[in-house]
Amino acid sequence: MAVVVVLPSLLATEAGGQKRFELEAGTVGDALRALPVANLLFDEHGTLRPLVNVYVDGTDARFEGGVERPLAGDETLRIVQAVAGG
Amino acid sequence: MPRWPPAAWSGSGRFPRVSVLVLAGTRKGLFLLRSDEGRRDWQLEGPLLAGWEVMHATLDPRNGTIYAATNTFVYGGTVHRSTDFGANWERAEEIGLPEESGLKLERVWHVEPGHEEGTLWLGGDPGALLRSDDGGKSFVNVPGLTLHPTRDRWNPGAGGMCCHSISLDTSEPNRIYAAISAAGGFRTDDGGETWTPINKDVAADFMPEDAPRDVGQCVHKLLCHPAYPDVVWQQNHVGVYRSDDRGENWARLDGNGLPSSFGFPIMLHPRDPDTALVIPEEGAENRVTSNGRLGVYRTRDGGASWELAAKGLPEQSWAVIMREASSFDSLEPAGMYFGTQSGSVWVAPSEGNDWLEAAAGLPPVLSVEAIEWPSS
Repeated sequence: MAVVVVLPSLLATEAGGQKRFELEAGTVGDALRALPVANLLFDEHGTLRPLVNVYVDGTDARFEGGVERPLAGDETLRIVQAVAGG
Repeated sequence: MPRWPPAAWSGSGRFPRVSVLVLAGTRKGLFLLRSDEGRRDWQLEGPLLAGWEVMHATLDPRNGTIYAATNTFVYGGTVHRSTDFGANWERAEEIGLPEESGLKLERVWHVEPGHEEGTLWLGGDPGALLRSDDGGKSFVNVPGLTLHPTRDRWNPGAGGMCCHSISLDTSEPNRIYAAISAAGGFRTDDGGETWTPINKDVAADFMPEDAPRDVGQCVHKLLCHPAYPDVVWQQNHVGVYRSDDRGENWARLDGNGLPSSFGFPIMLHPRDPDTALVIPEEGAENRVTSNGRLGVYRTRDGGASWELAAKGLPEQSWAVIMREASSFDSLEPAGMYFGTQSGSVWVAPSEGNDWLEAAAGLPPVLSVEAIEWPSS
């Protein structure tokens, strides 16, 4: 089974217009690193940027191990930018 | 590779031939303004790169590729490029600072096409210079400047510790100037391997009296003259300066007509090394145009005297012009350009003698670059 990753609009534009990805991944980090926008989600040292929120089936992955959170293979991951800015 | 300039810009009608392209980077995307050689009627297109803060954008004269130094507060800084004049964009695949440096690229500020094919220079925060040798697909650190031995004496300004000025010597491919706030100006004579501070006699009244003065100055914008490359100008946090010997010595020039020594942008005349235009602001503690007017000041005698060159500009205006938000073209007569934080782009097709508002109502303008091409 494949997990589903849903991108916000700016990232979907950067991914060539594709908003929804289905891919095989063992962890949240694996799923994010498989995306064509991985170099926006992670900094140059491989750390997930602090204002990138990832929800796994509606729960913030930050509280379930972050990028190390294991995936069973049927989850939906939604990337949401933090509520900030102007 | 598309033909340059594009056929679509050479149509008939109100704009029979596009001769000048202005790239206006804003806090909310990139706008393009096009005009003929008269530079009095402008077509506006945009925003491109919606959602991105465009700190600076330019067009590579070698091939027509547009490069944009882009940031978001969530996804960091990168460089976008378009080979079809903004219709489609690609993003740098690799960009950043090496882990062993202990630094991370916080923001990108200025992208400059280099002399060699495929080479680009990129300035960023924290006081970082990067280089691409593959046309913008990847950018790597330039340790000779980013990790300069004086780095521990650099300090950030209000905009972070930004490498904002990258200016190429048009006659000597290995000579490049860069400036960082607040680290000062630097010059390389060997293509970027080693960098020499060029801050002799440049004031830094915010530093302790006993501090060494080789670095730490707060350059706001530094430009090497395109036709007289030994001549370098800078608008500094503390004064306006000119060097006639590649930055070895500087003369301070902000007396005799300037209402303030503080400002950010500077414009040069493409053929006259003695002409420059600045837009003074009240001072470091009140960063808004002096005396409540949008005043451009011009020298035609190498900075010995300055005159107000503000015909057409609003007499009452508390404007803010960012360091990247001015430019000049090389047409005859030379055109001068700047953009404001209040969203206007102003153009003087006649070397500053009169100004017109080419665009208004844009998001805050962060950068302006004017690119022209032969009208034949």
